[in-house]
Amino acid sequence: MSAATANVFAPLCLAVPLLAAALLAPFTKHMPRWLSSCIAAGASLAVVGMSIALALYTSAHGPVVHWMGGWTPRGELAIGISFSVDAMGAGLSAFIALLVFAATVYTWMKFDLVGTLFHSLLMAFLGAMCGYALTGDLFNMFVWFELMSAAAIALTAHKIEEAEAIEGAVNLAVTNTIAGFMVLLGIGLLYGRTDALNLAQLGQVVAQRPPDALILASFALIVCGYFVKGAVVPFHFWLDDAHAVAPTPICILFSGIMVQVALYGVTRIYWTVYSPALSPHAHEIKALFLGVGIATALIGAIMAYAQRHLKRLLAFSTVSHSGMFVAAMGLFDATGVAAAALFVLAHGLVKSGLFVCAGNYLNRFRSLDENVLGGKAREAPLNSALFLLGGLALAGMPPFAISAAKVLYDASMKDHTLFSVAAFMAFASALDAGAVLRAGIHITWGIGKGQQTGYSPREEEPECDGDRLEKTPWTMLAVPALLLAVAVWVGMSGVLWHGIERAAHAFVDRQYYVAAVLHGVTRALPRAPWEPRTAQDIAINLSVTAAAIVFAFLGLFRDHVPQMLRPIFGPPLKQLRGLHSGIYTDYVAYMMFGIAAYSLYLVVAAR
Amino acid sequence: MNAWTLYFPYAVAFWLFVVGCFGITQSRNLIHTVLCLTVVQSSTYMLLLSIDFHAKAGAPLFSSTNPPGSPSVDPILHALTLTDIVVGATVTALLLALTVQIHRRRGTIDPQRLRPMSE
Repeated sequence: MSAATANVFAPLCLAVPLLAAALLAPFTKHMPRWLSSCIAAGASLAVVGMSIALALYTSAHGPVVHWMGGWTPRGELAIGISFSVDAMGAGLSAFIALLVFAATVYTWMKFDLVGTLFHSLLMAFLGAMCGYALTGDLFNMFVWFELMSAAAIALTAHKIEEAEAIEGAVNLAVTNTIAGFMVLLGIGLLYGRTDALNLAQLGQVVAQRPPDALILASFALIVCGYFVKGAVVPFHFWLDDAHAVAPTPICILFSGIMVQVALYGVTRIYWTVYSPALSPHAHEIKALFLGVGIATALIGAIMAYAQRHLKRLLAFSTVSHSGMFVAAMGLFDATGVAAAALFVLAHGLVKSGLFVCAGNYLNRFRSLDENVLGGKAREAPLNSALFLLGGLALAGMPPFAISAAKVLYDASMKDHTLFSVAAFMAFASALDAGAVLRAGIHITWGIGKGQQTGYSPREEEPECDGDRLEKTPWTMLAVPALLLAVAVWVGMSGVLWHGIERAAHAFVDRQYYVAAVLHGVTRALPRAPWEPRTAQDIAINLSVTAAAIVFAFLGLFRDHVPQMLRPIFGPPLKQLRGLHSGIYTDYVAYMMFGIAAYSLYLVVAAR
Repeated sequence: MNAWTLYFPYAVAFWLFVVGCFGITQSRNLIHTVLCLTVVQSSTYMLLLSIDFHAKAGAPLFSSTNPPGSPSVDPILHALTLTDIVVGATVTALLLALTVQIHRRRGTIDPQRLRPMSE
């Protein structure tokens, strides 16, 4: 591929879905269903193709920088808006588009599109996320972030007849809008100091002076803002309300990539803008990220275990994994970034598959409550098999991709002699997967006792045409099967691992980025060390899987657990559940507390 | 300009952000919440517009009375503020539409009286 083609592909990744959205919005009512599905699927596949081409090109030749309207920088002064595509950004964009493609395939047959704007909104969502992944401009990032939020709000409320869906959308809208304003305030402060919005130029200016209160305040605001969308404690409360009620194809995107995209933003901004200025305080910032990462992972896992509503369970498992991503990127080195990237990829595939299986249960049996479903799923053996396989994959059973991610992740933890962090994460992921397996086993065979806690309506409206589906259409089963197959490939592919490791080394190298964006000097990805998986790593993964199975059976047969243990776990769990009240007024109060705590910590740490 | 006038807009921005969020935490009405959100948003307007404010500088429009090169405020911040307004309008519209729908379904728009979603 030539440089000129690559330069055109960068803006096309954004233009194709947005044009598709504009085309679908007015005409979709008059289109047959297959045509609107074809347009949406075609546009997302085109973005997958272009993004993969960009990822390969940038690996071999260095970043692609496209200046919108030809406004190239004068010296080190960026006067236009750039799309600065590096291998990591292009890879992320490819993954986003792949999941959107999976969502469109899911909606191909029988899915109740209700109004007809579903595909149009989906395309706007895709365009916003790709723009966010590829842009090189801080304010531009904010704009895509907000477009993403607006599309997400509308898509969450897709089942407009269901009051719960609307309440979930309101919780999402209020918290995420405040988050957007926090990010914008941070950007404003940063612009006031630097007169720059381009990430590369911002980094150059910020690096010139030691950080002061203003830089720290802008960092705190941007981090807190993105952590709301990234569902990090104490900003995660909106997530389960929204994910539990969103239609299944949207759950794929919410859990699979939207949360992770926000964390990508924090990482990208840290490495391009703040890394030189904040490096004297790197130790304290690392402690913060590892701390909130552990807290998020544990709270998410415990809450997931205490749910009986399948989608809510999976949503809390996403919260828990978000904590693991934060801890991985909070190592603030290339290995941590690589581990986080591979982990996001692996988790996104498996979690999407699990959500689709849950959606299939809903369409077939009109419920997502594991007590109602208990034993019924014998009628749907294929779906149950996929759900259980997803649960095992989530625990890190080889050869699934998460195991690969865990290996790299554990390795990066060991480098830093952070055994305790790795141990917490292993515990959290075993508990997480244990919850999924518990629900899966109870649903499939009806053995043991289903979880009684957690909110769940007895009966829910299915998402299909008609009352319920007698038989799940093959497309709805093909999606999780294919996603899990890709997850296996990701877990086995040494080339991909090595590529991600190299992309991560380029990602944390600010000069590599600056040279490409401001000086037009590009070079191929740096070489990076890479070790294949060892027998020991596989043993670790297998033991986490075994622990998950133990947790699953502990849950199913918890009546046999000695009575004396109950007072120890019961009251704290009740308190924790009480915090997740489902009312956004409480969530905003926690957010206020969170911003104050993060800012205070950063100020004290950088004293 | 003395320090007091220099920092006053930032203090106002901070106050608007905090008081808007406080309003949301106390809200018993969804429409009130939406209005509180616009108060929070006003803090971003305040901050963006005060960053490059100079009493002596005019708008970045140049003419014979105001030739190119004469002092003007930074147009980028105005562009940012305009974008911000658009974003705010979108979210407000969406939230109000959802409010109407909630009222239709539940007969109330008091968040405390809506059935909590977790237990």
